[in-house]
Amino acid sequence: MTFDRAPFLFGPALLHWMFVFGSFAGIIFSVTVLIALGVYGASGPTAVMGRVWQGLHDFLGISPRRIWALALLTIKEAVRRKALFVFVVFAALVMFAGWFLESDLRADLQVKNAVSFALTTISWLTLPVVLLLSCWGLPEDIRLRSIHTIVTKPVRRNEIVMGRILGFSVVASLIVSLMGVVGYVWIRRQVPNNAELICRVPVYGELGFLDREGNPTDKGVNTGDIWEFRSYIEGGTKSSAIYKFPIDQVANKIRFESRFEAFRTHKGRIGQSLLVRYVLLNPTKSLRVPLESFEVVEFGLNEKDLDRQVTYFDEEKKTNRTLDLFDDIVDQNKLTIEVQCLDSGQYLGMARPDMFIRMPDRPFVAGYFKAVVGVLLLSIFLITIGVTSSTFVKGPVSILLTFTVLIVGQGFREFMLKLITGEQKGGGPIESWYRLITHMNDTLALPDNFGVKLMQFIDNLFMGGLWLMQHLIPDLSYFVMSPYVANGFDVPWSTALAQCFAMTAGYLVPCLLVGYYSLTLRELEAK
Amino acid sequence: MEKQPVIQIKNLTKIYRDFWGRKKVRALNSLSLEVKKGEVFGLLGPNGSGKTTTMKLLLGLLFPTEGEINVLGKPASDVSKNERIGYLPEESYLYRFLNAEETLDFYGRLFDMSPLQRKERANQLIEKVGLQNARKRQLKEYSKGMTRRIGLAQALINDPDLVLLDEPTSGLDPLGSRDMKDLIVKLRDEGKTVVMCSHLLADVQDVCDRIAILYAGELKELGSVEDLLKEQHETELLTSKLSPEAVTDIEAVLAKHNAKLLRHGHPTNSLEDLFLKTVQKSQERPGQRYVPTGSEKA
Repeated sequence: MTFDRAPFLFGPALLHWMFVFGSFAGIIFSVTVLIALGVYGASGPTAVMGRVWQGLHDFLGISPRRIWALALLTIKEAVRRKALFVFVVFAALVMFAGWFLESDLRADLQVKNAVSFALTTISWLTLPVVLLLSCWGLPEDIRLRSIHTIVTKPVRRNEIVMGRILGFSVVASLIVSLMGVVGYVWIRRQVPNNAELICRVPVYGELGFLDREGNPTDKGVNTGDIWEFRSYIEGGTKSSAIYKFPIDQVANKIRFESRFEAFRTHKGRIGQSLLVRYVLLNPTKSLRVPLESFEVVEFGLNEKDLDRQVTYFDEEKKTNRTLDLFDDIVDQNKLTIEVQCLDSGQYLGMARPDMFIRMPDRPFVAGYFKAVVGVLLLSIFLITIGVTSSTFVKGPVSILLTFTVLIVGQGFREFMLKLITGEQKGGGPIESWYRLITHMNDTLALPDNFGVKLMQFIDNLFMGGLWLMQHLIPDLSYFVMSPYVANGFDVPWSTALAQCFAMTAGYLVPCLLVGYYSLTLRELEAK
Repeated sequence: MEKQPVIQIKNLTKIYRDFWGRKKVRALNSLSLEVKKGEVFGLLGPNGSGKTTTMKLLLGLLFPTEGEINVLGKPASDVSKNERIGYLPEESYLYRFLNAEETLDFYGRLFDMSPLQRKERANQLIEKVGLQNARKRQLKEYSKGMTRRIGLAQALINDPDLVLLDEPTSGLDPLGSRDMKDLIVKLRDEGKTVVMCSHLLADVQDVCDRIAILYAGELKELGSVEDLLKEQHETELLTSKLSPEAVTDIEAVLAKHNAKLLRHGHPTNSLEDLFLKTVQKSQERPGQRYVPTGSEKA
């Protein structure tokens, strides 16, 4: 995962959601009206409108009491079917996990391993349970016809879907909370005494570059790395990286943390690392405040504290000068820092998250439980998908469908994007099959004939489906927050948790609609 | 005054189709009937005649292929009609992991009843169906008869105006069956409308005011039980015990009126009556056993 994520903006996200939701609803409604018109004549569209009206009526008339009754039933069902037994498995795992985790590592790595293990275990024990429960509940009710005793009461179909989702979510909360608490106690006991459980709160800035002539540029130099995450600045030239950090509050001291990567073209000074210098800038006042240079710590953290009163040597006036960081240097609530590499012929690589202002730390428990909330939100998301799909397919198919969403959402979206955009060579399923059996390299052009055109037409249809799927399935890697905590960071609200809350809520509304209509339009008679 | 209809069915047809939409079976064919307020109405027919299908169509569990259904003045698809309906399914489809109290509490919640109402109603019904000693046991431990009883209790949780009972006496012993029939009569006396379907003809005869006989999805007979069973060409007299001479005299009188005695002898009780009497006696005198007729003198 990357820590370099754009902050979540509620307004644009809501507008985007409304656009997508509205478009889908509009398309489905129009297609349904057209089909109804074709099949039933003039009475068809009236019937469709009647259903829409009934749906609106049913959603406006929901009863929280009935929903809670159904949720309670779901909770009792899960508990009496021993869903909480998974906690025993978790307890057994953490009892003996210490035997298998390396204890001769650096203290911070031991913390990383312990935190990762606890959070990953919570996640991978909870998800199968909620997957099974949510996908199996309704189909079993339909198969055993228990649902007959519910739908013959004044219960609306959307209340059934809501009750199920709420009930399973409460069960998931119970499981995750229990495991979370036990996991926390276990981490506390597992980490060595000299290890520190920290929860840093970083403030990231914007990153820009200057080239070797000092002209602004989007990227630095690529030193031949395929992964272009980091850009490099050339030492001993005007090349530099410029970070602009937002400053919201005044403090007596600011701490910078950075983790830069060195790329050497010569051995350099033996026994010494690369020399780096921070220069504080105020573009409005054309002020440059060079700080003392320091040797960069490779494969480690560079920590630098900056006092509010900054004293530096003014090259023009050839005298020491003291400035107030917030009054004189911070410009329009932004602190601009230029990072220079002073060693000629050497390169220093950096990305946006490589340097940040470290705000006062939060308690470790806060960050840890935010990550636990991430697991819970993912569970609720899967429950929503599972319950919805179980309204129109049977249990095993529903499990398969929900599991596909989970797997694709967590790891295959990028690959699908490459397929859709053509970055992944070899064409669609038919073309790649054709190339395989004819031993044709994917760089060779296909012949221009009708068969190839037909093949590409069918492939385009598949790609259309893939495009739709890629856009419908969300990026579930947002829900995985353990790397933040394992690396000693707080889980940020704006770039992680807010996204997950919004994603869960965003999918809940259309899922409720789909669930409601699929239960309303089908005969609840098990066949 | 003509009683208002609680259920109106007009030209109801139900065709079951397969996954591809092809016709599989015509379960009901142009069924039309009405059920009046306050009557016990029986749907009769052999297996596969369309009784349960009719019941499920009334409840909105199935959708009609053609025709109209009105229940309590509302279409069958209207959920709000269920506020005044109680339904006992053919088999127990209740949640087996709940106990009797929890079951009734759950269904009470679905009617937005307050906790106090739910508790009171549950206690009343548990007593009414005779499950006081099993109120804390999970339904998976219940016998079939007990499950029918709790099923009936959940159907009555909302004190419904219309009660739909699918095979209400199936799985019950004669005592339970008698209790169920008494309860149905009591419901009618309280002014409620009861629709039951059954293939146990004696049960239907005992409690129903009117019946409809279905065969292969079609309505074959409809009317009051009395009218349908009445033998218009014969007369039945029930007297105290007569001597053979008296019987001969009666035959002579009948001959004078161009009639003849078709059958005479001692009337017999029903097996159900005998069974119930025996059980009652056993409850009153627990130690007494069966003694063969001849062995009494010996």
